[in-house]
Amino acid sequence: MAVKINPDVCGHINDCPVQGLCIKLCEQGAIIEEDGDVKIVPENCDDCDLCIQNCPNQAISKA
Amino acid sequence: MFNIEREGEEHRKLSYKDKNCVGCGICVNVCPTDSLRLGPIVPIARGLIEMDFVSINQDSCVFCGLCSVACPFDSLELTIDGTSVKEIESYPVWEVESNIDDEDCIYCGRCYSICPRDSILFERTLPNPVDLVVGEIEINEDKCIYCSFCADMCPAGAIDIKNIPTSSNDLLNNSIEVDLSKCIQCGICKRVCPEDAIKQICSTCMMREEIEIPEITGNTFISEESCVNCSWCSEICPVDAISITKPFEGTLELAESDEKVCKGDSCHACLDVCQCNAVEIVDGKSVTNLDFCNLCGACVTACPQNIRVLSRTAMKLTNINSVSWNEILSNLLVGK
Repeated sequence: MAVKINPDVCGHINDCPVQGLCIKLCEQGAIIEEDGDVKIVPENCDDCDLCIQNCPNQAISKA
Repeated sequence: MFNIEREGEEHRKLSYKDKNCVGCGICVNVCPTDSLRLGPIVPIARGLIEMDFVSINQDSCVFCGLCSVACPFDSLELTIDGTSVKEIESYPVWEVESNIDDEDCIYCGRCYSICPRDSILFERTLPNPVDLVVGEIEINEDKCIYCSFCADMCPAGAIDIKNIPTSSNDLLNNSIEVDLSKCIQCGICKRVCPEDAIKQICSTCMMREEIEIPEITGNTFISEESCVNCSWCSEICPVDAISITKPFEGTLELAESDEKVCKGDSCHACLDVCQCNAVEIVDGKSVTNLDFCNLCGACVTACPQNIRVLSRTAMKLTNINSVSWNEILSNLLVGK
């Protein structure tokens, strides 16, 4: 099912209070950094929802 | 860590020590003015964000002290004119305990090694092994060729060979010495000597009745500064010298459904926030060992699937005299 990121509220790493907390939290490699921005790799997502729960901007939701 | 104060008829001060905070959020839930906030406990526990689990809005806190009495781990403390409310007779008190009986402790150090919070201070004095053996050792320097076999193999490092000759003129300067304060009469030197230059007799077995039973002394102490009553120490103590009284009785279960299942190794948020080392991921599922769980509930907050069900059936918070405080504090029992 994976997750989606709302680009309007996402801090895009640079403006994220923790510089990409979702990337740091996801150990499945389902959220990665690409060209200085956050990218979702849906096939790696295990639907643990850690990113949804912890995103400081509440930018992540179920896809 | 924070310290906030209010001057008035009384001087009230609220202190928060992050060292013993487990991130359970009990204080946040009981605060009547919504002045306390629980931070993102999973990223904090993983070291991704450097901040305390709990923060306070100084402007709205009324210094009532409810958070201070509700905290089972002594992280928050309200003092009135310098006296902690935990010392004031009319305030509620946690009847929890973490204590080591000095009389029974044998200083094995198992509790010290296992404590997940490094809360146990431990030191011991062991006897000198030399005092536990009896024997004699003698080296015949006329036979010794200073080959160093004995010195290199001595497990106690008791043999010292000096002045290995550097020239033919220097041959007389050899010396071999046995440090009797180190020699354990094992006899290895005698057996490896190629020149039969060492005489050694161990009489330990023969004299064992006369050798004093070794006395091991020490000190083992639980620091209440960081102990969270998990019980690892008391469970592992081989002589039952440790008493731990936990703040709550109850259960913690995983309630999976068709939509919500534990993601185990992918997530392990519960394991990361547990200050008791009570959570393990077994076969891809979170398993909580209630023997070591203090039912603080931090894992319940941390679980993104929201499938951890905590039920607290009894608590050791006593002497609740105020009706309104009793109403709020009783909520700790119904679980989350």
